Amino acid sequence: MDMKKIISSTIVFSVLTVSSITAVQATYSSPEVQAVSDETVTVYSSRKEHLIKPLFEAFTKDTGIKVEYLTGKGGALIERLKLEGDNTQADMFMTVDAGNLWYAGSQDLFQSVQTETIKSNIPVHLRDPKGLWTGLSVRARTIVYSTDRVKEQDLSTYANLATDQWKDRLCLRTSKKVYSKSLVASMIYNQGEDKTGDIISGWVNNLSATPNAKDSHVMNSILAGQCDVGIVNTYYFGRLIAKTPDSPLKLFWANQDTTGVHVNVSGAGVTKHASNKEGAVQLLEWLSSAKAQVIYGSLNKEYPANQKVASDDVVSEWGSFKQDEMNLSQAGLLQARAVRLMQIKGYR
Amino acid sequence: MLKEKCIKSKIWISFIALLVAMPIFVVAFSWAMPEHELWAHFSENILSGLISSTLVLLLGVGVGVMLLGTVLAYLVVMVEFPGGKWLEWALFLPFAIPAYVLAFVYLGVFDYSGYAQVWMREALDLPGFDVRAGSWAIILTFVLVFYPYVYMMTRASFKRQKLNMIEAGRLLGASPLRVFFQVSLPLARPAVAAGVLVTLMETLADFGVVSLFNYDTFTTAIYSAWGDFRSIEVAAQLASLLVLVAFLLIYFEKKSRGQAKYYSSDVTNKKPYQATGLTAWLISLFVFGVFMLSFAMPMLQLVIWGWSSVADEWSAKYFDLIASTSILTISAALITVMLATFLALPSQCKKASIWLKSVIRLATLGYALPGSVMAVGLLYGINQISIINIHFGGESINHIIYGSITLLLFAYVSRFMAIAYSSIEASAQQIKPVFTQSARLLGASRLRLIWQVYLPMMTPGILAGGLLVAVDVMKELPATYLLRPFGWDTLAIQTYELSAEGLYERAAVPALIMVVFGALLMAVFQYLDKKSSRTS
Repeated sequence: MDMKKIISSTIVFSVLTVSSITAVQATYSSPEVQAVSDETVTVYSSRKEHLIKPLFEAFTKDTGIKVEYLTGKGGALIERLKLEGDNTQADMFMTVDAGNLWYAGSQDLFQSVQTETIKSNIPVHLRDPKGLWTGLSVRARTIVYSTDRVKEQDLSTYANLATDQWKDRLCLRTSKKVYSKSLVASMIYNQGEDKTGDIISGWVNNLSATPNAKDSHVMNSILAGQCDVGIVNTYYFGRLIAKTPDSPLKLFWANQDTTGVHVNVSGAGVTKHASNKEGAVQLLEWLSSAKAQVIYGSLNKEYPANQKVASDDVVSEWGSFKQDEMNLSQAGLLQARAVRLMQIKGYR
Repeated sequence: MLKEKCIKSKIWISFIALLVAMPIFVVAFSWAMPEHELWAHFSENILSGLISSTLVLLLGVGVGVMLLGTVLAYLVVMVEFPGGKWLEWALFLPFAIPAYVLAFVYLGVFDYSGYAQVWMREALDLPGFDVRAGSWAIILTFVLVFYPYVYMMTRASFKRQKLNMIEAGRLLGASPLRVFFQVSLPLARPAVAAGVLVTLMETLADFGVVSLFNYDTFTTAIYSAWGDFRSIEVAAQLASLLVLVAFLLIYFEKKSRGQAKYYSSDVTNKKPYQATGLTAWLISLFVFGVFMLSFAMPMLQLVIWGWSSVADEWSAKYFDLIASTSILTISAALITVMLATFLALPSQCKKASIWLKSVIRLATLGYALPGSVMAVGLLYGINQISIINIHFGGESINHIIYGSITLLLFAYVSRFMAIAYSSIEASAQQIKPVFTQSARLLGASRLRLIWQVYLPMMTPGILAGGLLVAVDVMKELPATYLLRPFGWDTLAIQTYELSAEGLYERAAVPALIMVVFGALLMAVFQYLDKKSSRTS
């Protein structure tokens, strides 16, 4: 009998604790609760808060529609969306890397949105062929080199970095990062798996340091003299130059005589179970507009996806270049093969 | 009579333990969906390498924390040396720094482009080196992050031996070293083993530090299966192997273990040995050096970074971050401790039942699961319950559970049950059957027995367990990141988001607040520890 008392008092105590927590939670989050109305668009985003908040604030100012957002890692948010199914609060899913967008599309998480505004704003290779997702900013992944130790004329292609002249002079970012995966996926698309495999082996052989966790570390390593050349997304270069304008580093546009520089996107799609589809479409169109595209460029030194918009001043200084126009859904399709290849070739 | 009672307590203990262990079951059930192709690729190309690098890491970290934690604890408890008194507490402080924060600070300083190496090359003309090559640097990092576990438990154990030690030493005239190896160490072995076990489980589950160093472990394969090959099933299957390893580790540790405790019951402040002259200063220097490297230096770096960016980074948002961090931390610690106490209460039924012992063991295995695997396991588990519920004509519970903090708290409880339970159980073991018997003879009901005998005796363990859980919840990232509802960003999330973008200066601001928060919790622990050693 005593046990029963203990148990029931424990339960009462637990219930009290949980309900008081819930009460605190309710009071605490009441502003958000009130904000949930037809005039709110809810976004799950793997783009970090400081990069999306200014955009959403500008959107709210223009349209009166509030944006509520939850950040997280791309893969984890996709899993959450899948499990939430039609209970999800999300009207839009926003993420970086075409591979993630493609995968979310393949898991039936998006609905097709192909409005005239989006079609005219965003070029076709930066959009899903079925309209499931739309690229909103372009990041170019290209070669960065030390102006002290490398002559520009020695550089040409990503494949060239696998040749013997770069032995112990190369730094790369880890193969675990989506940007490396999509680059290798594009190489498989352009040159086939065998040739790409040889290039990766060459890269691994030329590495002068364990692959870095971040692009910024790759550039720091070049500056410190650990290596002479690397491959990075251009906006990381933009951030570095903003802090230390005199750094003896320069970008080189890879593959200009062949397939063009590999580009990737950050983008978004309207979720299949969006409760505010109209608002989400409106947000998507607004994000592709000239106004938003300028904010994108200035916040993160990326290239506008909308070709009618000029690049940010700093970005324009790096010069124009030919893009690889492979449709980015291919990067998604080929990513698993790319990872397998990198793992086999020992590219960490 | 006993049997009838036992049925009820069996049902309740089983219910709670199995609920806490739910993510483990979800992970184990993944074997129902075999995926041969990916397994073939993994086993052919990467698994053998990953297993050996994981073993190297575990071995290095295990031996490292064992040596460092034990030596520090011994010096601090047994030897009088300059600064010993405050260092005894200062050595707890690294607990307050999340492992990945320490890792990015170390890399910022000691990587090829970090200023320590730049200075070595420029001022001393030494050749530069790739600090991330091989495994020594990451082992060292983990040792400096996790030694406090061993230190904490071993220190408590040494403290309990101290008086006898003085006696034994005096009577036998044995040298301090001999006493250490022949008396102290064997007596402290269970505590050392418990500390090493916790460290190894943390190391197995880590993803932040290993990805900053780009060091591949078994966890790398889990994330690759999930992130690269989009196979949540293989990820779960791999994770279940981690749980199996943890289970074996616990089994062996349990065999060697007596009563490891996190708290002490020190009766006197007098120490058996006095270090003098050069020896004393060398000991000081060593202990202080560890403190510098594991706490003061990283803190200094964080303060420098934070100072330069606090104007950009600080905003009213931080009040929200601090509020949600506090609410989650405190409520998770309370719930975990309550359940752990319930599971750890001494009872006749438990003693007699292998079943109960096993389900409780199961409930503590979540500690070995990487946080995000645990989180997804929970999401799947809830979804399954909904499916079953719908099958029997009920309704889906998904919309109630998803997007509320219930799920997040559930994840914390599952993940950190091991910490709370082992601390509380150790104090429960102290309660000798004779207490129970005499209380019973005097006619006390079980409820009174619990309130007036068990709980007071278990208090130090409950407090220590609660505080450890609180510090861990405060630092927790992957599960929080995945499961939190809108508006529940924590300091750990803010730190991660900024540092992931390479904005270390700004990331230092939330990191510092977290360290202060953690240090406050450690101070509470310190106060209670002192108080409880005075009263017991």
